[in-house]
Amino acid sequence: MLKKYFIFGAGLSALALIILLIQWFFVLEQHARAKPPATVFSNADNANVEKPCTDEHVEWRSAQEIEGVSILASPVCEPDNPYTIAAATKGTNNVSMSTLMQSHLAQDSIVMGEDLDHDGDPDVIHIKLEVVELNGFSPDGDYLMNTYNIAPGVQPSLWVYAPKMQGMAVKNFNSRVAHPLLRAPSPVIRVEQGDKVFITLENTHYLPHTIHLHGVDHPWLNSEGQDNDGMEEHAIFPGKQHTYEIQPRHAGTMLYHCHVQTAQHFMMGLNGMFIVEENRPNNWVQTLNIGAGQVRHPSASVKKQYDQEYDLHYQSLDKQLTRIPQEANDPRLISQKMSRDYNMSTSTENYFLLNGHSFPYTLRDAMIVAGENENIKLHIANLQRTPIAVHFHGHKATIMAYDGVDAQQGTQITRDVFDISPAQRLDLSLKTQNDGLNSYGAGLWMFHDHVPTGTTTDGMEPGGNMAILAYKKLLDEQGMPKMHEGMFNDVFNKEYYAKKRPIWSTGDFAFLLGDAGLVVPENGELIAFFMVCGMLIGLIMLLISFYIRKDHEK
Amino acid sequence: MKNNYLRHKIKVISILSIVILSLAQVSFAMMSMDEKGMVMNANSDNLPKDCQKISEEVNLTVHAGQKYATKFNGKMFAFDQQEWNVAPCAKINITFINDDQIRHQLMIHGLPGYLYPEGMLHLELYGQGELHASVILPSQKKTYLVHCELAQHAEKGMKAQLKVGGGDGDLPSIPALSAPVKTDIYTLDWMAMKWGGILILLVSFIIFYVGRVLFLRYLKMSN
Repeated sequence: MLKKYFIFGAGLSALALIILLIQWFFVLEQHARAKPPATVFSNADNANVEKPCTDEHVEWRSAQEIEGVSILASPVCEPDNPYTIAAATKGTNNVSMSTLMQSHLAQDSIVMGEDLDHDGDPDVIHIKLEVVELNGFSPDGDYLMNTYNIAPGVQPSLWVYAPKMQGMAVKNFNSRVAHPLLRAPSPVIRVEQGDKVFITLENTHYLPHTIHLHGVDHPWLNSEGQDNDGMEEHAIFPGKQHTYEIQPRHAGTMLYHCHVQTAQHFMMGLNGMFIVEENRPNNWVQTLNIGAGQVRHPSASVKKQYDQEYDLHYQSLDKQLTRIPQEANDPRLISQKMSRDYNMSTSTENYFLLNGHSFPYTLRDAMIVAGENENIKLHIANLQRTPIAVHFHGHKATIMAYDGVDAQQGTQITRDVFDISPAQRLDLSLKTQNDGLNSYGAGLWMFHDHVPTGTTTDGMEPGGNMAILAYKKLLDEQGMPKMHEGMFNDVFNKEYYAKKRPIWSTGDFAFLLGDAGLVVPENGELIAFFMVCGMLIGLIMLLISFYIRKDHEK
Repeated sequence: MKNNYLRHKIKVISILSIVILSLAQVSFAMMSMDEKGMVMNANSDNLPKDCQKISEEVNLTVHAGQKYATKFNGKMFAFDQQEWNVAPCAKINITFINDDQIRHQLMIHGLPGYLYPEGMLHLELYGQGELHASVILPSQKKTYLVHCELAQHAEKGMKAQLKVGGGDGDLPSIPALSAPVKTDIYTLDWMAMKWGGILILLVSFIIFYVGRVLFLRYLKMSN
């Protein structure tokens, strides 16, 4: 009896030994001797290379006038929808049905009313926002719903405020891709100083939310004596709405964000820029700038001093946090996983976004496109978890306002790195004057957060908020930067950000710096290995036969 | 306000005419809008090819809202009913009521494309309110998907099915009616079995033990 167990045990341990040996040979590394392995080429596998520019709406790029709203040219690959701009400027109640339909906004999303100061522009403005989940869970299969890629193949779940729209939340009826109006970042809201603004949050999401108007002049209670500060204890429940009322007396670059479970909800993407423009006669401002970036219909005061205006929204995401809504469907489970199982104080930043995209998608819609001798106004907001240090190659810009307050003459600092703490804003004046100080001349100048992790996507360089300040003549007809074609095949590829391709997989360096192949075991070792294996197998058989014979003798 | 409304009506009519003109080949393509909502592809007159006549006329009132989800654990939005059964070639007159202060939709998918562009009927309410639309169903035995297309609304419960002639099966993840394809995982409640678990354990052990004794006795006897 005892012997039986002994043999059984011996057999098992011999088997374990064999497995260990196999692992040692075939899985673990081995020191290469005189001949390291050859380079493995993977550039033949280009199945996942995306077109750098899909060139979907060529007609949206040119300067045009819709509903009497003059819209500046936007020569980038993915320009903003000019019909949305026209409807956001005139109000969804003041445009033709065909413009409204092409804007995809709901007809009550931006309603403009009375001209209070009789200066030729409406001053009573009702804005309706919804809350949308991108890259969310589906109980119907192993896929995500309302997908939005921040970079090739990168789909963290995101919560954003979105303009109230009409129709489906997908691009078309048999697609899972989110509708183009539903994207990161939450839209930039723009109003005129002194406007009577009503912001209604219609909570279409499955968790409670609020809007806190950070830095925007607002009374603590609204006219009905209800919460007007977006406080956590006055959260708006799913299916309900609440209206915040403001009449900002002060102009400047401000913010809005959710104040429920703030650490989590802020990091999920419920934050945006809120810009109050100076009051001027006949000043119709572009109420929403979807996806931030270029303001194609700048306000009267900006138009007077500047040639162009851009909103730059810096945002970061935590891949562990943004995975949570993809792991469960039950809102109770999502809430538990997000607020209790996950400890936000251990949160890290893995994705860095400029205007909702990481490089290389920033090249499609987050570039600054400049002409020579222009003065460009930049509103920069840091909606990340950590400070940013925005650097422009080839330029030195000047700070015109801090947190929405104009900088006095002595504090208008000209420099090339702008440190911005979380939730802070800077207004910059960037001049493209080739004088060796403001600009070093035409180019495709990168601009990015100089904190080293800022240009990574889950650790992969180049990624993150890397973008380009491009001089117009250096863009091709699709709005993509020239002289970068060599790189496009590498980075417009989800395999690259899935870390499955070497950094230098194409071009001259590929054979030098591609992946090192596997090392071939040397003959002596191979013989020894198989000999040991064979002997072990023999030993087991010997023991078994010995046992069987013993049994027969009984 | 009244003036505004009138202006809107004119706009509605003008866009309607544009839509109808541009879709002249599908003369029944319909879209109507007002302050409260929109209806696309309603059809109260055109018979499907496979129907000689309307078999029955059914009036359906469908409510949508957060409060209808309260009876389903772990859901947030729902319709007041999850399933409707009608006869082949039935005409249904839908009254769609939104009880929430947000947008909701009622969409029926999989309808014949020659009558309903993209195979769908689309009802949308911009807030609290009510819409009316009719639809004539073909004779085929089929289960149609009914849901709200807002992000995460169907996923979080606003999903139902319309069965014609008994339907051709159930769709997944309809609240309290069918299991999802991708399920959530919850902690098991051991205590729900109370002492039952221990009792079953004891009984099985005794059965095993007694069986073993009997078997050994049998072996001895056969020897």
